[in-house]
Amino acid sequence: MKDFNNLKISLTQQEKDVLEGKQGAMLQKIMETVVRYGEALEAERLVDITGKGHFVITHAIPGISPSMEMLDDLIEAGLKAGLPFTLDPVAPLDYDNWWLTSAQKKILDQMYQTQARYDKKMLQLGLLSPEACTCTPYLPEVGNLPKRDDILAWSESACVIFANSVLGARSNRNGAIMDLLCNIIGKVPLSGFLLNEERKATWRIEIRTDELPPPQLLGAAIGKRVLADVPYIIGLDRYLGSDMNQNTLDYLHDMGAGCATAGAVGLYHVENLTPEALEMGDGLLAGNFKTCIIDDNTLQDLLKSYPVLWKEKNARPEKCYLGCPHFSLNQLEWWAAKIHEALMAANCINLKIKTTICAAPQVLAKFRENKKAWQQLTNAGVKFSPACSMQLFDNNLSENETIITNSNKLRAYTNARYFPDKEILEILVSGNIRGDA
Amino acid sequence: MNLFFKGRAVLSGATEGQAVVTHSGFNTYASFFTSIHGSVDQVICADSSNPELFGKDLADKIICLPKTTGSTSGGAVWQRLAEMGNIPKAVLFSQKIDSLAAGGLIIADVWAEKRVITIDRLGDAFLETVRNGDRIKINESGTVEIFK
Repeated sequence: MKDFNNLKISLTQQEKDVLEGKQGAMLQKIMETVVRYGEALEAERLVDITGKGHFVITHAIPGISPSMEMLDDLIEAGLKAGLPFTLDPVAPLDYDNWWLTSAQKKILDQMYQTQARYDKKMLQLGLLSPEACTCTPYLPEVGNLPKRDDILAWSESACVIFANSVLGARSNRNGAIMDLLCNIIGKVPLSGFLLNEERKATWRIEIRTDELPPPQLLGAAIGKRVLADVPYIIGLDRYLGSDMNQNTLDYLHDMGAGCATAGAVGLYHVENLTPEALEMGDGLLAGNFKTCIIDDNTLQDLLKSYPVLWKEKNARPEKCYLGCPHFSLNQLEWWAAKIHEALMAANCINLKIKTTICAAPQVLAKFRENKKAWQQLTNAGVKFSPACSMQLFDNNLSENETIITNSNKLRAYTNARYFPDKEILEILVSGNIRGDA
Repeated sequence: MNLFFKGRAVLSGATEGQAVVTHSGFNTYASFFTSIHGSVDQVICADSSNPELFGKDLADKIICLPKTTGSTSGGAVWQRLAEMGNIPKAVLFSQKIDSLAAGGLIIADVWAEKRVITIDRLGDAFLETVRNGDRIKINESGTVEIFK
């Protein structure tokens, strides 16, 4: 029996009983993990989770997700999440959509040989449905939409920051595995973004660019500057307006993904746009807040700082992956129109680069109903996938490939080269990177 | 003259080792991305966005950092590294530990039964003082000694 007498966190009698093993050894181990998590975060107590979960643990690969043995232990103990949950996108095992060589397929077959077993276990532990796998769970087509002030134990950095900032729900940046354990026990430490005081902004970030900046580049600039702090961003409503329409939601989603990748930002406020900023205005700024201006030079300098990790630095790009994080229906329609326009202007039929676009399975199904847009993209040679492109870089799967992306998140974790949307379009149509020899 | 810093022992323990230092956030997932998928002797930092650590071997080192950053997949990375036996000896945070690091390191401790000694709240002066390659001694109470 471990010594829990010196805990600073306050526990209810029911929580103490679980911690003492009165409801079985497995629940005891989970409660110990969550309580020690609370101690580390200096939480006063645990609180009940009130919304569905979203977890990052989709792939049957130790190091990214729990081991099969750990899942077996949980299932054998009869445990599952208190509410159904959604997961991050599936592994890229839909080979036809990814332009893969037979050697790459073989490696993926080996890497994911236990995936089918793992998927079954996720359903046993409470996965909402076999198709509930995307990094945009809150889209209407998917249906995991937290309410304002819901207490969550989410992971996936891009989802946590969106849930906190744009939806006004409350989640810390929980790591893989801890997400599942908290949702099984139904409790999470009362700390961090669950507390009003911790949701106050300690940075005032002023955007002074000449036009609306690429969202993931702006997000990276903010994340790099504020690291794990909460920024209050002013100047974006000049371009986005004050209406939370789908274009704005998409922009804020991508900006958040950039913030969370380059830093550890779990919450931002945007003046005149996000719910808490609308209610409290600059009253959200904490005392002694720091200030920072981001202009076009800031973003250009950041862009230039990204190394080219291709083996042959001036090589022509072979592939393009779009949709990290997954695109919304609105973004799919935007890309369909832009690609069509660019091809027409260049008097071309097909893109010069093998291109895959990712979105939630439910969103892709909906997009397919828009026959004109679907046809525009498929005619251009684009393929679609509900998977996560990042997993194609594990085990050096793509080390010899020249892949471009509009995702600063994908760039940060792989050797893919990042370009803003406008440049991506040019490259897709011309086949060349402007400025490269 | 040796320098002493007092922090909070999140996962207590005593050890000695060599410092690797990042003044920007430590992106756990990006740093260990190539080290978690197979048997490797070294744990080479793969985070190209972190020029201070990119390409450095982190196995058996003491990582000195302000906070961790990046993907929440970083939580499972600690458990995997612990199971593979290629973990850093300790992580020393100048600030309060972040939720992502806390979760991952505690899961490695409880479920893989491998402890990465973890001290937080060592203060900005600690990170301004410690240099790559410095020898560091950590004691159970959370005191960190830098040999200068």
